Amino acid sequence: MTLLKNWKIIILIIFLIISLGIIFVDVGNPQKGYLGNTNIRLGLDFEGGTLLQVELQREVSVEEINRIANIISQRIDPTGLRDNLVTPIGNQFIVIQLSETDISEIERIESRIRQQGQFESTINGETIFTGDQILRVLRGDTGYGVFQQGMFYEWRLPFVLNERAVESFTEKTFHQCTPVSFTPGGQPIYDCAKTMFFLDKPNAIIIVSEEQYENDREYLFLGDRQLNIPQQTNIDEVVENSQLPVIIFRDELDYNYLSTIKNETGFNNIIISQDLENKILQDLEAQNFSVEVLKINQRPWVWDVLSAKQIISLTEGITNQNVATIEQARRYSTLYITGQRDSFEEAIRDLEELAILLESGSLPTPVKTISRETISASLGETFKSLVIIMGIIAFIVIGIVISARYRNWKLAIPIFVIGASEVIIIFGFIALVRMPLDLAAFAGLIAAMGTGIDSQIVITDEIMSKSKKVKESLMKRIKSALFIIITSAFTLIAVMFPIIMFARTFPGIDKLYGFATVAMVGALIGVLITRPAFTVIIRKIVEKIEKN
Amino acid sequence: MNDVYGQNYKKYMLIPAIIFFIMLFLVFVFPGVQLGIDITGGNLIILRSEKEIVADDVYAALSEFNLPELRVSTISSPTGYGAWIQYSKDPLILEVETLLSQAESLLDNEEESIALSNQALFLLEGNERDFENSRLALLGAQEALSKEKEKFYLLLQSSLINKFELEDNFEFQQREISPTLGAASFQGIIQISIIGFILLTIVIFLAFRQLVPSAAIIQSMIFDIFAGLAGMALLDIPLSLTTMPALLLLVGYSVDTDIMLSSRILKEKTGTPQERATTSMKTGLTMTGTTLAALVSMIVISYFYQVEIIYQISAILFFGLIGDIISTWLINAPILLWFMEDKK
Repeated sequence: MTLLKNWKIIILIIFLIISLGIIFVDVGNPQKGYLGNTNIRLGLDFEGGTLLQVELQREVSVEEINRIANIISQRIDPTGLRDNLVTPIGNQFIVIQLSETDISEIERIESRIRQQGQFESTINGETIFTGDQILRVLRGDTGYGVFQQGMFYEWRLPFVLNERAVESFTEKTFHQCTPVSFTPGGQPIYDCAKTMFFLDKPNAIIIVSEEQYENDREYLFLGDRQLNIPQQTNIDEVVENSQLPVIIFRDELDYNYLSTIKNETGFNNIIISQDLENKILQDLEAQNFSVEVLKINQRPWVWDVLSAKQIISLTEGITNQNVATIEQARRYSTLYITGQRDSFEEAIRDLEELAILLESGSLPTPVKTISRETISASLGETFKSLVIIMGIIAFIVIGIVISARYRNWKLAIPIFVIGASEVIIIFGFIALVRMPLDLAAFAGLIAAMGTGIDSQIVITDEIMSKSKKVKESLMKRIKSALFIIITSAFTLIAVMFPIIMFARTFPGIDKLYGFATVAMVGALIGVLITRPAFTVIIRKIVEKIEKN
Repeated sequence: MNDVYGQNYKKYMLIPAIIFFIMLFLVFVFPGVQLGIDITGGNLIILRSEKEIVADDVYAALSEFNLPELRVSTISSPTGYGAWIQYSKDPLILEVETLLSQAESLLDNEEESIALSNQALFLLEGNERDFENSRLALLGAQEALSKEKEKFYLLLQSSLINKFELEDNFEFQQREISPTLGAASFQGIIQISIIGFILLTIVIFLAFRQLVPSAAIIQSMIFDIFAGLAGMALLDIPLSLTTMPALLLLVGYSVDTDIMLSSRILKEKTGTPQERATTSMKTGLTMTGTTLAALVSMIVISYFYQVEIIYQISAILFFGLIGDIISTWLINAPILLWFMEDKK
């Protein structure tokens, strides 16, 4: 077993072990979206799903397209629970990958991308104004932006309401601050009511388990800066402000009560928390409700399901504390929302998020067209098994041709083994970088394998056929084979490189990214790892044959 | 057979020259290479069924929808039946979308924007509405459009399901590509092809450092691509984002044999160049032969199981590699032999 002492073989074995490790280690039961019991993620072609390609009205800057991609991913998936991928391509296109294949659901998502969101601001369980009543956010105004205030950064966001909204705002916020104490100078300190902002509230009855509700109560009370939930937020107040029917599930569901609510609101949709799925989903569906189960994760479930976005405290300046009756109250058509942060970046982020919210999550540059591609999950399943069968058959065919050509089946074995090693290491790479395996990546694999087999034939011929007549040294023969292999690998890399370079620049080219990456990585693995090992093996075999 | 080239090798080049003109005719004149819908824009639905699908039935089932430029092709295989349904975008929806994107960019101009949204609504529902502001008008019109599209797709789908008695979880693929997206993709394809070609030329020149051999490799590559394109024209495979990788792969495969041949003729000293060319041919035909054998098995399986992408890629590669046999052994080899003779 002198072969095992050769460092080229050792390197190959090490890479094989690492790759197998990456592919298989740490996998429990088969996961959805993955190939069998492996860490290889499956792409759209094999899993089924939809690809949306959004084209904007015009080219925009890099910052803007990133911002738009953000808004889109917020709007189609506010909770971040679905595994959607939103990627900007160049300056005018955004690609969205969805696992959805249902036509109605996709249409809904498309319209969410195109349409304005439904923004709502409420206080004490009543709507103050809605998104379409906001005439504009004064982005260009001198009052807009982040200003340094001593140690803090204060952000200010001015916006203008239409007449009706101004009236409603004045009325509903009137005297909503109460003095609770006084400063040493004798100025009153106020405690003011809070307004809550919602975006794209669902038209549905919500059923949540008591346990989850109490968990969320605690969460909201503690607050979460990242989610813009201030400390001491009361969950009951949030529910009240959402004006949605929320049922807290204890032991059983009162169906009479449910149908009363249904009649009052006209809602036939129900959203239930995940922990209730086994308890009531079937019963509800039996009652002809359309039910959606919303997953529970680290975030407050109730906050997410109600699409609550912000809680803003009123200030005494705006609640007309200084006048006695509402008729005397001053009407503010331009309102300011302000906040403070420790750093400039945080302040800018808050300001930007809120501005987008007030603009109803509408895109700063309108959408021109949305193209889409859907592959049904069942078709993906068929593709998956076919590709595996095809791979195996192609391998067998290659084996037969090679055995026939050299009239020596022993020579087919190393070509086989090395070919399989290449596939394993490439799969290891795919699992490592979490690149989805799709038909394009599979085509890349064919490319890599094809040149791999080609190179192995060159090596075999170079060493075998000449050794009979020519007294060239083995080293020299290998060297000449090496030149051919390296040049051909680099030509493949030269052709694939521009695809990788432009995958984020041109729409459509991103679909070839997997193809080019696999082909290129495959070529490199071949030159650096598998072919050197192959040369060693073939040399041993040839030396043995020559001795005989 | 130690030398198949002898002294008459120059005459060999006549055959590929004639073939090249035939390929040019196939690619550009008749039948010509079609552009796929991801380049031209349009709609494509691929259906699969266990029951037979006849093209005329599909036309009949879809007649009520008045789909513009409708094209249907069907396939039957031992494993089942399939239909390809292709049509361009409904002009009404296209018009509404244009109106709405105008309305959206004019949001600040209340009157005009509302008028545009109403125009769209009129096209969709036959009546206009009173709106107090442009945003609400746009919202209303957008909702109407998305309802219209959803209704259209569901109807289309259900009439196909009914007609062909498909099961609920039938296998399908649907694509809807806007013309502008297609144009942008095509621009991308051109760009990566040009850059790829330049890089490839650089690699080959760096490897061989001689004009004639490098140029010979590049001509062989171009020949192969045209062979692939001619195959596409013959089999009615469109040039698209899925067939693009095949043409690129062709480049990768075709240079393998050319590089092997050039390196052996130019860099080795044993035997006459003709003999070296002949041994190279043996190696080269093994290389191309194994690939062709693998491709044939893939073509057969993917055709019968209707895996569109793999079928197209392997068919293109098949034609391209047949072209490669011609270009490498009937053009490239004679050029190199000629080059060696002149050097003496």
